[in-house]
Amino acid sequence: MLCDKCKKNEAKVYYTEIVNGEKSEQHLCEECATELTSFQMGASILNPETSLGSLLSTILGNYHGNPAQEKERTGKELHCDKCGMTYSEFLRVGRFGCDHCYDSFDKVLEQSIRNIQGSDAHTGKKPKDFESKTDKIIKEMPEIDKLSIRLQDAIEKEEFEEAARLRDQIRKLRKEEINNA
Amino acid sequence: MLKWYKEPAKNSDVVISSRIRLARNLRKYPFSIKLSDEQAVLMVNEVKESAKTIEQQTERKYNSSNVNTLAEIDKTAMVERHIISPLLTAKEQSTGLILSEDEKISIMINEEDHLRIQSVTGGMNIYEAFRMANKVDDITSGIFEYAFHEKYGYLTSCPTNVGTGLRASYMVFLPALTAAGRVGKLIEELGKYGIALRGTYGEATKSVGSLYSYDEVEDKVHRSYGILRYARQLTSGDAMTLLAQLKLGLDLELIKPKQEFNVHELMMDIQPGNLQCHQDKNIGSIQRDKIRADYIREKLPEII
Ligand SMILES: [Zn+2]
Ligand SMILES: [Zn+2]
Repeated sequence: MLCDKCKKNEAKVYYTEIVNGEKSEQHLCEECATELTSFQMGASILNPETSLGSLLSTILGNYHGNPAQEKERTGKELHCDKCGMTYSEFLRVGRFGCDHCYDSFDKVLEQSIRNIQGSDAHTGKKPKDFESKTDKIIKEMPEIDKLSIRLQDAIEKEEFEEAARLRDQIRKLRKEEINNA
Repeated sequence: MLKWYKEPAKNSDVVISSRIRLARNLRKYPFSIKLSDEQAVLMVNEVKESAKTIEQQTERKYNSSNVNTLAEIDKTAMVERHIISPLLTAKEQSTGLILSEDEKISIMINEEDHLRIQSVTGGMNIYEAFRMANKVDDITSGIFEYAFHEKYGYLTSCPTNVGTGLRASYMVFLPALTAAGRVGKLIEELGKYGIALRGTYGEATKSVGSLYSYDEVEDKVHRSYGILRYARQLTSGDAMTLLAQLKLGLDLELIKPKQEFNVHELMMDIQPGNLQCHQDKNIGSIQRDKIRADYIREKLPEII
């Protein structure tokens, strides 16, 4: 087969391209394929993430079907309460509108983030003074409950000296409570 | 302090620079696509203010400015020097920049994310680049409340960046692989490891494409030097091709300069925007090609 582009050389490369969900196929010789890919590399510098973002929305679109059908079925479309972004708008632009979008679209997002990033939970750096929900809940607990959680934690980590210390502290607090009552 | 391309650095023949980018957003504003013009002005001003605190806590001097009000030519020159992105210059909304005096650290304000913290070092030194960007991030995270999610990490406008918001990159010069037609294969291989390879000076590397033997390379390198030495008009595409071949010759020690010579600095200086900034006036393209040739002749070292 001859190359679709130069119509001179033997086609050796089967080239498939998906841009914003539109698929095109070509049979190319090595020379034309190299030219085409390096041209695309050049173009993608202008906005390298556009392609990634639309790639993601393509993947999401495939997973969760057409949002318009979903809308017909349930009567309302998935959307973000805070910024007003709808799911179909997100699939179109590949960008979120605010921090809350990540919670609003959590259900449909989780699987895709795992596919793209290899994990769905962040384990790296945290901003200074960041307090997680768990931290916050623990902070508002009565002292005894806090100590019990730390005791559990110490036992799991086999830090038995620390566990013994915590156990004694809990006993002491219990006794005080009884006395006060 | 020396600019990154003037610093002596490790493996700088192949790895021209190392870069880190951190994408960050402020909790209190909507992300880029939902940000109103009024909010953009407020956000840019608020972030620009942080330059003072960053300066106090690092050993560098910083300048902050609005990007959307700059002249087109100044924006182009900054894009050519990789200080800001084409996306930032294309925005009509209020946009800003905090830039260290040595151009090693910059924060683009209101690009795709509210903050794009970037750092660059010459040669192969990604850890130093990371250290610099991370330090600035520590400082700004003490000033602003970032959009951060317990499960997903740092939240970004595009979900492909969510998590650390970090991107690390090397700018590499691969003339022989390009000539041997192996770049396509390399892109494929690297892809398996989550590494993307993109062309920057596409034109420059493409034309080294027909070199085969060592003798041919040596001949081509000297021819290129000759043209750079004597040409009276050079387009930026031609000049980049010739300089890329000259760089290859210098790296392979086929030619040795008598005077100190920084080929990468010259490559940036002769881009249309930068050349025009040096000239301090608006010039036509033929005039510019003449000035470019003059400029190169002036900077080109003699060779042994
Ligand atoms: Zn062909
Ligand atoms: Zn939202």
